[in-house]
Amino acid sequence: MSYLNALRLHFAGQFQANVSTVNNDPAHFHNRTFKSSYQDMQGTQPNGWFNPQGDAAFRLLGCKVTSASMPSGPVASGDAVLQCLVMDSDSRAPAKLVDLDSEQQLVSEIWGLQVRITDNQGQTLLSGDFEPMAFIDIWFRAQSAPPGSDTPAGAMWQSVLRSLKWGDIGHSQFLKALKKEADASGTLSIKFNLDGINMDFTSPDFMCGRIVGTIGPASIGEPAHLVIGRQFMAANTPGNQSFFQPQNGLNFCVARIDPTAKCVFLDLGNALPTDTPGSGVANLGDLVLSAAGPTGAAVPLGTIPASGAGGYTAGNWYETTAGIVVLPLSDSQLQATSAHPLTISGNAQTRISEWKSGAFVRADTYVYRMSPGETASIAVYAMQWGKALANATVSFQLDPSQLQPTQVGPGQPYVENGPPVATPKDILKVGHDPISSKHPTVVTDAHGKAILKVTAGDPKKARWFGADFGIDGQVYGLRPAFAEASLNSGPVNDGNFVSFLVWSGFSAGTPVTWHDLAPVFQQYANLYPVMNRFLDLGNYDSVVENAGFLSLAFGLNLEDPNAMPVTRDLSPAKRKAILSWLADPAHPKGQAVAAVAAAPSPATPQPQVAAAMHGGKAAAMSRRLVLQSP
Amino acid sequence: MIRLRRSLVQGLEAPSPTVQAVRDALQNAVKLEHATIPVYLYGLYSLKSGANVEIGRILQSVVVEEMLHMTLASNVLNAIGGSPQIDHPDFIPTYPGPLPGGVESSLTVALAPFSMSQLETYLSIEQPEDPLEFPTAALAAGDTITIGQFYTKIAKAIAVLGNNIFVKPARNQVGPELMEEAVVVTDVATAQKAIGTIVEQGEGTHTSPEAVVGPGYAHYYRFMQVKKGHFLIKTPGVKPGYAYAGPPLRFDAGGVYDVQPSPAPSLAGDNFNYTYTSLLRALHELFNGKNDSAQFNRTLGLMMSLKGQAKAMLAGIPNPDAPVGPTFVYQPVNPETPVAQT
Repeated sequence: MSYLNALRLHFAGQFQANVSTVNNDPAHFHNRTFKSSYQDMQGTQPNGWFNPQGDAAFRLLGCKVTSASMPSGPVASGDAVLQCLVMDSDSRAPAKLVDLDSEQQLVSEIWGLQVRITDNQGQTLLSGDFEPMAFIDIWFRAQSAPPGSDTPAGAMWQSVLRSLKWGDIGHSQFLKALKKEADASGTLSIKFNLDGINMDFTSPDFMCGRIVGTIGPASIGEPAHLVIGRQFMAANTPGNQSFFQPQNGLNFCVARIDPTAKCVFLDLGNALPTDTPGSGVANLGDLVLSAAGPTGAAVPLGTIPASGAGGYTAGNWYETTAGIVVLPLSDSQLQATSAHPLTISGNAQTRISEWKSGAFVRADTYVYRMSPGETASIAVYAMQWGKALANATVSFQLDPSQLQPTQVGPGQPYVENGPPVATPKDILKVGHDPISSKHPTVVTDAHGKAILKVTAGDPKKARWFGADFGIDGQVYGLRPAFAEASLNSGPVNDGNFVSFLVWSGFSAGTPVTWHDLAPVFQQYANLYPVMNRFLDLGNYDSVVENAGFLSLAFGLNLEDPNAMPVTRDLSPAKRKAILSWLADPAHPKGQAVAAVAAAPSPATPQPQVAAAMHGGKAAAMSRRLVLQSP
Repeated sequence: MIRLRRSLVQGLEAPSPTVQAVRDALQNAVKLEHATIPVYLYGLYSLKSGANVEIGRILQSVVVEEMLHMTLASNVLNAIGGSPQIDHPDFIPTYPGPLPGGVESSLTVALAPFSMSQLETYLSIEQPEDPLEFPTAALAAGDTITIGQFYTKIAKAIAVLGNNIFVKPARNQVGPELMEEAVVVTDVATAQKAIGTIVEQGEGTHTSPEAVVGPGYAHYYRFMQVKKGHFLIKTPGVKPGYAYAGPPLRFDAGGVYDVQPSPAPSLAGDNFNYTYTSLLRALHELFNGKNDSAQFNRTLGLMMSLKGQAKAMLAGIPNPDAPVGPTFVYQPVNPETPVAQT
């Protein structure tokens, strides 16, 4: 089922993503060379980039239900759901938006988000916990915006809501119908698109942007973060080194054909460009969905007009529909879609199609944090012509091309070369075989699903700065593809791969001492100035004085919104050592710790950056390994 | 000294107090204890990092005890079958204004950064009943009471009503395993202990500035140290046994973010108020049966979030030219930013 369904509501409003940015430069993990200016707002120099004091909070602001539909059509105008708000938690701290790693910043996950549907006074009618998930399909959405910042970017998140709690929904036929579906699976499907983030710290909208999304039912057994449907695939504009720019205007998107209801649900929410960040949809001409006909002539399936009634360039079309379009299909049209690639086309520059094979494979969850010795079960789903593809062999190979090591250079904001990524190569294994030397395969079951079990080794000091402590662990990329080459029959989505952060092994002495932990604490004091509002993590006395509060904060689940920003960077082994030391009333100091406090001012000239250096994601995109000369 | 309206203790007087009157009085007590917290927090969070450290410690210690008092009053209220009502717009006083139950002419309490004049407000809130104080004509009519008298009357009414008014088994109690010095209230004796702790920590005893429960002096004397510029120390053999003659305690006026509350809507202000309202909701649940450590930790998490937000707001983060003073307003809906609304 998923959100791409006859039963669904759309919402729109603003988000705030108050991410912190000192850790955007991997070199800032180098304690010995860290300077206090790296915690300052960027100016003529990059300093701590565009939001060094960010607290990582991810919030929903003023989101309202903009429309709702049932299988019978749009809900009645009196349905209470149309007056509802979509809000985040009213009973715990704000959710957090967190990068996986300084060298893989392109899979930022939302943690600890509770989504609520409320009446207009904020009384909860439904609440659910958003299963933590990273964005995908980030692209250069605002066509006429200048590059070099995150502001033109758009991206999407798809996940499920769990632990559903329902309030008084008696006034909404829609919510009653949604509850009936949710009671069967215990979950709901949610998908939203973010764009138009404001990165001007003097603006009252700093770190806010537009969110437009959809909530619908979810089925047991279907992927939580992926629609089993018709996947439209775009190629990048040649030579583009920034955010993905689809060669023919439209970004990756999905459709689902419902043969019973005789219609197609098409989600263009993250596929249609805007003119300026957060504006209405750009005019690409009337969009026609068609199927390739057996004789070569395309079979038109329906038209989405650019203007006029239901036109997608109308002021509130995107907010009202979340970009989802439903087109009725006749029997012959249905027949035409069954085993032929679909295409959406508009003006001469606008076109996107399924692969010729109609096939697609992707991991449901594509971000993993692992300790040495740990095994992750990675579920991938294969589909063809919108249906689960059974008995397909899926092959995996390491692909570091999208990871983001840094190199100093003219125009670059980095203060020293960052550590290498994806080394050593033989850390990820299937069974006893390093994936680097033997590409593993799995075969899909009747649901198109297969599980790859990946075991992590110990990358040790792979990302130290010479003899100095550096970034814990190592990042890797693993890309799935069909083993049968003919199925891989179109442009590849760069973002369609699995990201790993494999932590280094860590063993502290017995008892654990401050000497063991000081480099870790110091690094976090450097990277997260927000912590200075609570304590000085680099100072023994301050840490001891706050041992109780720290024990609580370090002890929380990663899913808890109050988990400290550092915690999701921290291996379980280090976390355990920290908790052990905090719980030890002696808080032993161990050997003397060499002073590593930040130097008070830049001793050497820092790299100059243009004042327009306003993007963490933009910077990450432009330094992907694939773009770096060997 | 704060004077409360005598109507707050209607129905408490012997010989025939009613349980409902005691519950009503305790609900007012919960409100009153909470109402001081935003005032003290505003002062605490206005202190610049590394400046006025001792004043910060004093404020922090008082705030923690006010939270304990709110808990203790809730425990007594729950113990006699009541339910603290915390998740409600009326739970928060309007600042500036009188404290809940307060006589308007007695004291206007405002949210403001720490200053020596704001210290006078703190002292007024915490000042014990003083036999040497002569009431003004407006207050002499006998229609007002002190906070100490208010609690004494509650305690007396509970004693008159006896152990039968206590719900068995103990109900919705937040005990010492969650909050140090909290008292699980099950009968008259434990209720008296809880109320005694509130009064002594706030006002001290009639014979000593030291609180019987917990470390240090009663709140009034803690604050007085700042006014006197010296820590209060014991002076054995020299009457009255204590003197503001300890190490100096200086106020550095430059070590304060001089930012007043910002009533105009703003992103940071709305976020703060939404989180603050979430905290009231979480506390409401904590004091109405969800008294487990997970819920307690959620409330702590919300408090930490508020602390981080408030300190950033007052410090002008991210925009030093546009600091925002938190307003502590009940706001169950977090709206679009003011820019998006226009």
